[in-house]
Amino acid sequence: MTGTPAVRPEDQAEELLAALRQAGLAEAEVYLKDGRSRRLAIGLAGAEHQVVVEEGWAVRAGDRRAAFFVAGTGRPLPGAPWPTPQGFPAPLPDAAPVLRWSEPPDLDSPLLTELEAQALLAAIEEALVSELPLARLSAAELEDGSSASTLASSRGVRAGWRQRVAIVRLVASMPDSLVEASLQQGARDARRLQPRALARALADRLAVRERGIRPERETGDVVLAPAAAARLLAGLLPLLVGPGARDLVGPLLDAEGRLGSSALSVVDDGRLSGGLLAAAVDGEGVPTRAVPLVEAGLYRQPLLAWWQARGGAAAVASGCSLRASFREMPAAGPTHLFVRPQEGIRPAALVAALDGGSYVLDADGPGRFDFTADRFALPVCGFHLAAGAARRPFAGGWLCGAITALLHGIVGVARDLTFFPLAGMIGSPTLRITGLEIRGEA
Amino acid sequence: MTAGSPVSARIAQADLGSRDAPALPARRYNRGMPFGALDRPALARALAQLAEGPDDLVDAFLERVEVVEMPPAGEPAGLRLRREEGVAVRLCRGERSWLASRDRLDRESFVDAVRQVARVHPRAVSPPPPTLVAPWGGLPGTSDLEAFPRGLDRALRDKRVAFPYRLTLRRHRRDLQVATPHLAAAPQSETFYSFRVEIPWAGPGTLGGLLSELGEPAAEALAVRLADAFRARTAAPPASGRAIVLLAPAAAATLLHEAVAHALEADTLAEAGAPEAAHGVRLSAAPLDVLDDPGGAPRPVRRQSDDEGTPVMPRWLVRGGVVDQPLADQRWARRLPGLQPGAGRRDSRHRLPAPRSTYLRLLPGDRTLEELLERANGGLYFAEPQRGRLDAKTGRFTLSFAHGRRIRDGGLHEPVGRCTIHGHFAELLGTVAGIGVNAVVAGAGWCAKGGQRLPVWAAAPELLLDGVEVTG
Repeated sequence: MTGTPAVRPEDQAEELLAALRQAGLAEAEVYLKDGRSRRLAIGLAGAEHQVVVEEGWAVRAGDRRAAFFVAGTGRPLPGAPWPTPQGFPAPLPDAAPVLRWSEPPDLDSPLLTELEAQALLAAIEEALVSELPLARLSAAELEDGSSASTLASSRGVRAGWRQRVAIVRLVASMPDSLVEASLQQGARDARRLQPRALARALADRLAVRERGIRPERETGDVVLAPAAAARLLAGLLPLLVGPGARDLVGPLLDAEGRLGSSALSVVDDGRLSGGLLAAAVDGEGVPTRAVPLVEAGLYRQPLLAWWQARGGAAAVASGCSLRASFREMPAAGPTHLFVRPQEGIRPAALVAALDGGSYVLDADGPGRFDFTADRFALPVCGFHLAAGAARRPFAGGWLCGAITALLHGIVGVARDLTFFPLAGMIGSPTLRITGLEIRGEA
Repeated sequence: MTAGSPVSARIAQADLGSRDAPALPARRYNRGMPFGALDRPALARALAQLAEGPDDLVDAFLERVEVVEMPPAGEPAGLRLRREEGVAVRLCRGERSWLASRDRLDRESFVDAVRQVARVHPRAVSPPPPTLVAPWGGLPGTSDLEAFPRGLDRALRDKRVAFPYRLTLRRHRRDLQVATPHLAAAPQSETFYSFRVEIPWAGPGTLGGLLSELGEPAAEALAVRLADAFRARTAAPPASGRAIVLLAPAAAATLLHEAVAHALEADTLAEAGAPEAAHGVRLSAAPLDVLDDPGGAPRPVRRQSDDEGTPVMPRWLVRGGVVDQPLADQRWARRLPGLQPGAGRRDSRHRLPAPRSTYLRLLPGDRTLEELLERANGGLYFAEPQRGRLDAKTGRFTLSFAHGRRIRDGGLHEPVGRCTIHGHFAELLGTVAGIGVNAVVAGAGWCAKGGQRLPVWAAAPELLLDGVEVTG
């Protein structure tokens, strides 16, 4: 590099804010992001090693009547020309006090080296073969990245936050078979990914898909593993997120305002302890917090960003504006949205309590949710149960029923909360649900 | 199909983006090429340090992208501008590839990326080129974007339809330069437009696509699509079963994109078996001729070289119904000598190239629209697909439509609602029963595969399928 002393991003943001003010832009926000990631992908095209260094910025600015959004790579020059604000204003949040926050200690751990990444994927493959001798890892991708963001606005917001995320995506298959199983898991530090546990989960899915038969029509209680339950929760997000949720959820509430059984509580928490994306503030510098959306079955409110909660029905806003990248305007969405687990309840206890029924191991896709007709269908695979034990695998089935029956039918919640990168981080523990069907067709 | 006519004549007939064709009375956006002052020999010398032998593939990818967006009325920030640039250095050796990418286009970033890749083969990096790119210059113009919504409103009024809709319009400009230790291909530039219309009253809720130019013809074409969607909004889906189906050029292009282009990408073929074994396989009894021809694409997106700097060529994917030359990039062509590179594409410097089509052309046949409608009596007509999908493992594809029309007495009649056509791609191509005589540019859209989203273009005539599976 040039050897000149590096300018701190906070100072760059202040300088830029001053330049925007000088240009007559009374309302302005400056966002700076630096990121670095390493990716190793192994597939048909061979092994691909990538190191990406990202450096981007975004400015929202204007006045009370109009605004613009400009984003770019590198760093903007303070003297650069700015567009004329157009159309409609881009409201910016006021500064708000941020609760005390301690950064997770593993934010500073270095990215995996090329050799470490190779060793991790090799260990997963080795463990997979020991779980299921003929199985092979047909594709594997490990992405390990860290980023630092800085935000300053004319409304007094000054914020900085860091993130560190590693995601592994695996696809396994059997020889001479079209059947595949995939798995995706995240951790803050890639060194915490457990090859043996990942391989076991992948082998379970592959074995079920390989040997499972299409179910006829199965009734009885269903126990959903976290992967399948999280998929269901992701499908229900229109009831839980955004200003349109209240209209959608209204017809599904009972006379007491209950959306589900007393076992169901749903929370969104942007500062969740141990959460992969946990931070003190969101992408607009608004403090994050835990917001109960459903408490013991009672529908409390949808998840709303500050600008969605203004002037609306009584609802608490939370810091839930996310920036997919520096290229995008902030958009409201789930941070860590999850079904609250029940301490002390082992998942095995939910299965052991069943005489018959089914255990749904995984979802094969996002499913269909018709909130007007109160129906849903989720493609699933798993095991039929007898006396609390797996009897025979099934695959290509559909978990079907009424959305109200699904939510009111939750009779057991375990302690094993697990998150999945779906629309934000969506999490659920194992759930036991009554009143649904598993069919061969949706 | 005029089986006796020389193929070259039919290509010429279908040369819709002809290099000599007069420009349409449409708005076009122009900026200068930013890589004019690039010191190509210096770049080549620096890259040469990375190659250990003649089999090593080394290149640098310099990219500049500008996207100007006009969001729908009422959305915050009425103008959205994104300008980004950066460089990526790549080394492929045997079955392994290394890529280092940066979000700056300056000498330090280039040297840094070369060093990063060179870590697997450490050597001194030769002095970097002094200049990689010209400064951005002033702010981009927006008059083309501002004029289009007015033209669309006018075209809708002319059709005597009125309904709420929200239009998002974007102009995309991408300049790129690929350099290797041996040569630097000519810089390439693409400019095009994308649109997304939110139509909450219709089943799918949105309608989107790409345009190589804005102007009255584009506004008229979009107005026709919107008016058709509005008139079909309450139509019932057709009964499920095998049917005779006439696909309009846009639908035919999307079908061929899924069933021919994706199916004949080297990496897709590798999932199912050996890509080189595809050559000579008969896909259709009908004399289908399908090319990927980036050099013949509409002028604003026409290419002389691909995203690896390899010169492009008209590539016969299917000739007379028989597979000729699958799509390949440099990596696949080096692994499998029967394959020709020239179809390497990447959606940004941060991704490695992969084989993809750019401008797909189905050559015209010999059936007039009247003849095709006559033959399709009692069948279904589909103008615009919502989306298409091919399962690389199984070869099964689906093409979804928000609406269509019934064909009766040689004409188009009442609308039908949402449905899909699906099947195995080879079986589907076996149902081709007629090809229209006029090919038009149609069916452009975004195509996502392997995490990369690319604009794809096409030209096709109508296509008649007899006995295809339709699910309402």
